[in-house]
Amino acid sequence: MKKILAIVLSAILVLGMFSACGSSAPAETQAPAQTPAPAETKADAPAETAAPAEPDTIVIMAPPVTGSYLENLKKWAADFNAMYPNLTVEIIETSWDEHNGKLSTMAQAGEAPDIAEISSGALGTYVEMGVAIDIAKYMEEGRLNDYDANALAYMSLEGTAYGLPLYLTIQSIGANKTLMEELGIDVQKIQNEGWTYEEFLDVIKTGTTDSRYGFVFANSGVTASDMLYMFGAGVGLSNTFTPELKYAFTSENMLILLKAIEEMTGSGYMPNFGVEAGQRMVMCQTGNAMIFGKAMPLFEANFKKNNAALEANDGTAVEGSQKMDYAFLPVPTMAGCAESCYGTVDGLIAMRNKDTTDEHLKNVLLFMDYICSGDRIAACMNDLYLDPVCQSGRDALVLEEGRDENNLATAGRCIAMVQAPPAGVTAEMTATAKQLMDEQIVPKFQLLLAGETTAQDVYDHICEAAYAAFGQDNCAQGMLG
Amino acid sequence: MNKTNGPRLRARRKARFTNDDLWGYVFIAAAMIIFCVFTLYPVINAIYTSFFNYKPFGSEFVGLKNYTDTLKYSKFNLFYKAAWNTLVYTVIVVPLSLLLSFTISVMILPFQKKVQSVFKAMYYLPGIASGVALSVVWLWLYDSSPDGLFNKFLGFFGVPTQNWLSSTKTSMLSLIIMALLSSHGTQIITYIAALLGIDNSYFEAAELDGATFFQKVRYIVWPLVKPTTLFLLVTGVIGSFQVFMNAYMMTGGGPDNSTTMIGLLIYNNAFEYAKYGLACAQAIILTIVIALMSVFQFKLMGVDVEY
Amino acid sequence: MATGLYSQHLHNKKVLYLRNTVITIVLVVFAAATLFPIVYMILSGFGPNVSTAGNMRTIFPSRWTLESFKAFFDFSPYSLRWIWNSLVVAAGTVLGNVLFASMAGYAFAKIRFKGSKVLFAMILVAMMIPYQVTQIPLYILMVQKFHMTNTYSAMILPSLCTAYNIFLCKQFFTGLPTPLIESAKIEGCSQFQIFIRIILPLSKTVLAVMAINTFLSSWNNFFWPFLVTNTPAMYTIQVGLKQFKFANETLFAPMMAGATISALPMFIMFFALQKYFMEGVTIGAVKG
Repeated sequence: MKKILAIVLSAILVLGMFSACGSSAPAETQAPAQTPAPAETKADAPAETAAPAEPDTIVIMAPPVTGSYLENLKKWAADFNAMYPNLTVEIIETSWDEHNGKLSTMAQAGEAPDIAEISSGALGTYVEMGVAIDIAKYMEEGRLNDYDANALAYMSLEGTAYGLPLYLTIQSIGANKTLMEELGIDVQKIQNEGWTYEEFLDVIKTGTTDSRYGFVFANSGVTASDMLYMFGAGVGLSNTFTPELKYAFTSENMLILLKAIEEMTGSGYMPNFGVEAGQRMVMCQTGNAMIFGKAMPLFEANFKKNNAALEANDGTAVEGSQKMDYAFLPVPTMAGCAESCYGTVDGLIAMRNKDTTDEHLKNVLLFMDYICSGDRIAACMNDLYLDPVCQSGRDALVLEEGRDENNLATAGRCIAMVQAPPAGVTAEMTATAKQLMDEQIVPKFQLLLAGETTAQDVYDHICEAAYAAFGQDNCAQGMLG
Repeated sequence: MNKTNGPRLRARRKARFTNDDLWGYVFIAAAMIIFCVFTLYPVINAIYTSFFNYKPFGSEFVGLKNYTDTLKYSKFNLFYKAAWNTLVYTVIVVPLSLLLSFTISVMILPFQKKVQSVFKAMYYLPGIASGVALSVVWLWLYDSSPDGLFNKFLGFFGVPTQNWLSSTKTSMLSLIIMALLSSHGTQIITYIAALLGIDNSYFEAAELDGATFFQKVRYIVWPLVKPTTLFLLVTGVIGSFQVFMNAYMMTGGGPDNSTTMIGLLIYNNAFEYAKYGLACAQAIILTIVIALMSVFQFKLMGVDVEY
Repeated sequence: MATGLYSQHLHNKKVLYLRNTVITIVLVVFAAATLFPIVYMILSGFGPNVSTAGNMRTIFPSRWTLESFKAFFDFSPYSLRWIWNSLVVAAGTVLGNVLFASMAGYAFAKIRFKGSKVLFAMILVAMMIPYQVTQIPLYILMVQKFHMTNTYSAMILPSLCTAYNIFLCKQFFTGLPTPLIESAKIEGCSQFQIFIRIILPLSKTVLAVMAINTFLSSWNNFFWPFLVTNTPAMYTIQVGLKQFKFANETLFAPMMAGATISALPMFIMFFALQKYFMEGVTIGAVKG
């Protein structure tokens, strides 16, 4: 009897512990130190919206977009709350790698946060789910015009904008400028005017020695698709769909691209093994590679830091690295196509969950607009070495001293060349294209990189798969552009 | 206690049966409640959803479409390729891993208790390593450049550098090696616990009969640890069929989908392509396969041995 | 203790030593291979607190320092609390499993009651469903129906008594001799008394095994705690460690330092339970 009592008591204890623990967990933290909104205080700030005096909570979920983004977010939330005391902001911090998994689960469970960071490629998925919101309906008059049409197009499908862009990041290639100039290559000309594929091959041939590759691209594992997208921009394949809304990767341009990559990887100027993402920059810094990809304007900071570390000799520099300057270069063009650059947009979208009301959405958009514009976004862009994509951001931009003029100019030029996806692409089309890329194209492409198949084979497979997915009439034929 | 035959005995027997039934239910009560709420409910939910084209607000009933879509054979349907990869992986890794753990457990036995502890710790503790550290190390080991650890190691023997994870020839092999070289701690601990339970008297009797070491293992040890082996086998197969995290982190599907596993397909459908209903259907099909395999294993090894 | 497996009557000392040495070498070599990642993890924790965009190519850090450990604690006001959270969740899970899974396992193994086979089969089948598809309904359950986001309960309850552990217990208890139980019944013990007085003392080993395995899997669990916690105060250590990775850089050494610290409770737990691993199930009680 005593034993039964003992067991029962311990079971109760255990269960009791859970409920106690449950309630002792700190309630969801609000943005620092703000009291939950009292109802009636009127906002002092220009209240252009019919901001209801009812207290409302906005939930935002974001990963560390930059090292200091989440810290800044807390500050902006506090400032926002000072402007609109009835609106409190709750921040859910996620980690970079796992953000999408958690967001997807929450959205599908009907518990999506009000605002979430996504990359534009994933927009179709959330629209298909039915949780994305037409933001134009809930934003203040005219605020949408602050944002560049180009960037906004990435966050829209079929003409409806579902979110606001945070930044447009360009991906291209970078180089050891010091070395290139030593070898007599006119870096500035390349940066200002671009170059052709043939010129590119010459340059990397010059740069290749016994201990150094002319060109290195991080293409192992999932990063293989980067190569397709980036070099694709130089051969007329800036987007997955043509302006006529046909699937672009079945065009002859793709075959040219594949053949060029086949040539590059088989030439000996590039490593014949897969290069890890974490290695590409290090290889350049240690003098094992002259040009590397994918690269972004941001890397200038890494090179400067490394140079400083080498000078100070304090042991924090990359082992075996040399002092060098960084040049940001555009991708070469092929087959006479116009120069272009590959860009992606990361932005914030508004989502609905089962409790969403129209009034609530207005508040949500108010905050979203606040953090995507003005000096908030300018601070971010300074960290990322990118241009803001809204006018108010540009006005507020204060660039840190000491940026390389040429790199700045090149980056600006490249951003201007980015082509937004055509209007009229549906969510279903992007979803199908994404699946096609992940399941059919990238695996075959990885085979090509490993030297186990030919460009023609890969191209044929892509065409076959695309015809099956989209129907032959909806796929581009022949040369584009 | 003198028992009389006849109706009184039968009545008592029946009473004891009901008593046992009751006790049975009491004992499993807590477990069953937890199970029903947190395991059974989501499972039934998943089965239900597999007949829908799931959207958070407004799913559409599609009947068996998710199932037919999965099983429809087409050149571009990855399901069959993934199934094959998963099967190959399981059939190689699980038995080998079991054998390895069993062998190591047997090898640890002859030592003093203290030494045994040391060995057990050495084998168990790698399982504690954080997943992040593990993935970094393994990516370094399998780096395709001549600096990658495995390539350096092979270089000593004059074997050319391998494109480990990027080549269809070696990608699956890489994953298998990775599985076999990672921590078998839990299996080893389980086996040792089972081995320690074998009474010495059996061995003494066998020695008197002149049995060799291997004979002892084969005729005494192996049959007596069958319940444990069955357990590790079944759970091993279940785990292996669902595996995809390794493949995902190392190759993301592999060149020409050579390391795409069913688990990865389900994960992608559920979280990347928002085709949750389809993912449920695939999961159910996978479950049926696993269940069939488990039945087979039970039949093969399920005879309980008692002395 | 099954040491009889190895011939005790080796008259030749040399052969004995030779045999033991060979075995030791094999065991050590294999153990070294599996220990490598954890050694690397610990060593890296002693490296400098710099962000590395690339892989650390060296086994030994370029500079030996304790600053990364400090950086781990400074990273977030909750760094230490993460470890505490993991402890609470793991302890709760272990307690629940040891209590309930052993009871259920015994019932399925030794008590004949109606429907036991069906119920057990159901439990097994449920174990086979891939977790990817049960996450979403479970999440809906936790958040919408129970409103338990951000609580310890949300992290503990789903694993409070797992099918895996019930299965484990059943297999072990099956190996217990039935005559032992029968004789107890004849003496008039109820099932409950049998469980407490006979079964539990004999099953210290399996309970210890279950405890440590459950603790380990709870400790290493990332995705579910990540899903149900929204504030840094409630993160478990695995979730917290992921915060060290940013978009373009990783604070590698502090992350490894944190991982090393988080491995300490496991070390302690393992050695604390050592003596239970040593005992086997003594069946000698039945003879004679």
